[in-house]
Amino acid sequence: MRTGVKMGMLFLAALAAVLLGIGVGSVYVPPGDILAIVTGRIFHMPLPDHIPANYSVMVLDMRLPRVLLAFLTGAALSVCGGVMQSLLQNPLASPFGLGVSSGAGLGAALVIVLGGTLTGLGTFLLPAVSLSFALGTVFFVLFLSAKLDRRMSNVTVILVGMVVSLFCNAVMSLLATGSPAHAQRIQLWQLGSFSMREWSAVWALLPVTAVVFLYFLRYAGELDVMTFGEEQASAMGVDLRRVRGRLMTAVAALTGTAVAFVGIIGFVDLIVPHIARRFFGAAHRRTLPASALIGGMFLVLCDLAARTLTPPHEIPIGSITAFLGAPFFLYLFFGRRKDG
Amino acid sequence: MDKTAMLEVENLSCGYGKTEVIHDLSFRVEAGERLCILGPNGCGKTTLLRALAGVISWQGSVEADGISLRGLSPKQRAKKIALMSQFSQAAFDYTVYEAVMLGRYAHRSRTLFPAETAADREAVQEALRRTGVWELREKLVTKLSGGQMQRVFLARTFAQEPQVILLDEPANHLDLRCQAELLESLREWTADRRRCVAGVFHDISLALAFADQVLLLEGGRKLACGPVEELDSELLDRLYCMDVRQFMRRMYGRWE
Repeated sequence: MRTGVKMGMLFLAALAAVLLGIGVGSVYVPPGDILAIVTGRIFHMPLPDHIPANYSVMVLDMRLPRVLLAFLTGAALSVCGGVMQSLLQNPLASPFGLGVSSGAGLGAALVIVLGGTLTGLGTFLLPAVSLSFALGTVFFVLFLSAKLDRRMSNVTVILVGMVVSLFCNAVMSLLATGSPAHAQRIQLWQLGSFSMREWSAVWALLPVTAVVFLYFLRYAGELDVMTFGEEQASAMGVDLRRVRGRLMTAVAALTGTAVAFVGIIGFVDLIVPHIARRFFGAAHRRTLPASALIGGMFLVLCDLAARTLTPPHEIPIGSITAFLGAPFFLYLFFGRRKDG
Repeated sequence: MDKTAMLEVENLSCGYGKTEVIHDLSFRVEAGERLCILGPNGCGKTTLLRALAGVISWQGSVEADGISLRGLSPKQRAKKIALMSQFSQAAFDYTVYEAVMLGRYAHRSRTLFPAETAADREAVQEALRRTGVWELREKLVTKLSGGQMQRVFLARTFAQEPQVILLDEPANHLDLRCQAELLESLREWTADRRRCVAGVFHDISLALAFADQVLLLEGGRKLACGPVEELDSELLDRLYCMDVRQFMRRMYGRWE
């Protein structure tokens, strides 16, 4: 099948997932009504008579932002995962390995524990602090790697990232143990959730995702060359240190922003790039857009499961992705071995 | 053939951090020549190649086809000089054709979706045919045997269209026939135009069968450099701390 056709089908599937995510809930809203409500709002047209007025509020103010946030997060994490795997030539690498998640987690834990006293930024306080901590942690990891190893080889970066992550996690555990009252909130945040469902989160994440995604696409050629090894890439004309530094910063910014709003959602960044490569090959100009669509679709469906399987309680989204992700990943990895 | 230096190295020093590995090294390779670099483990052979390919920084002067490599951008340099590494790896499922096309990276313009030009396709086709992997072009690189993989990486190096090819143990892990085919492709490539090859070898007999010039390295310094025919075998003995000729005789003498 031609790539264009496959990509078109994937796009339609993603759109279907989004409509399903918006439609299913305590009340079912059919896709036609969703489209009527959304286009009605965009073009300021009156609603058709058969749609109850409260549907409009439910779709526009509750379900749509939540689904969009899930889609953007899935796209962001998947694209970053793919880029990290290529940068480190390691199919098991992930942006979280650079310390993004543990840094963000530490920042969030601090806000949760000190919470009451600092309300200056309102709902944006927690995301802002965890994003700064995520970025700070990644820069510290990169800085330390460069100090320890002038060539900044992949092994050094992976090891330093692991050590710093573990350290941040330890501090976070200490904080949680020190204030049992907040321990549960910290733990819930770590498992991730889209229940924030605010448009402000969507408007914050959308531009960052779009800009970083285009930035990655611009470097698709370099990423392809770099998957064949650092020394070789450098000899083939890639300005290795500069390109790697820029791309890692972009990865940190995007994952950091996503994690800051929705918490730590694992497995998406790890498995989605592999699924994308299976269907679209390894070249980044195809895998990156495919990863974005598949990742977005995957998280929308996981979130749908998270909020509808056990009403009225929500299952933390991180458990759903890991629950589905772990066996799927095993299947993918060993299925691949067999025909190899 | 007129004598023109394709690769001219003068007073080259390089290393890692504060440790200097190559000290004040000078040599040249003429157009159409194949140079083999010999020396014991740790004498700086690979480091020398890494410096020439721009992987690590260096002091001194290096010219390829009369143009100083100092001050060239990484892409401009890659159009002059290519490296075929010892440890090439394929982590992801690229097809052979895509992998060889990556060799064209240095020739691509910097746009969001750089299109493959006719020159790109021509260079890739020629490289695939030259190395005998044209039939494999739709295969995934992760599914190739070691010998096929090396030929694909050689094809990628050819597709880069450099004037100087640096080889780091190109024949490692290959069976005898694969070794012979690989070196034959390189020999044809050098004879063709204004090009040259400089390669590091562990197998002395293979090196001397392939090359017409030899550079002996001892502790990061030049021990000797000249045509293979004029090589003083006592220098080899000194370099490897053993009687090299006697060893060779023992190896091959049984069949004669």
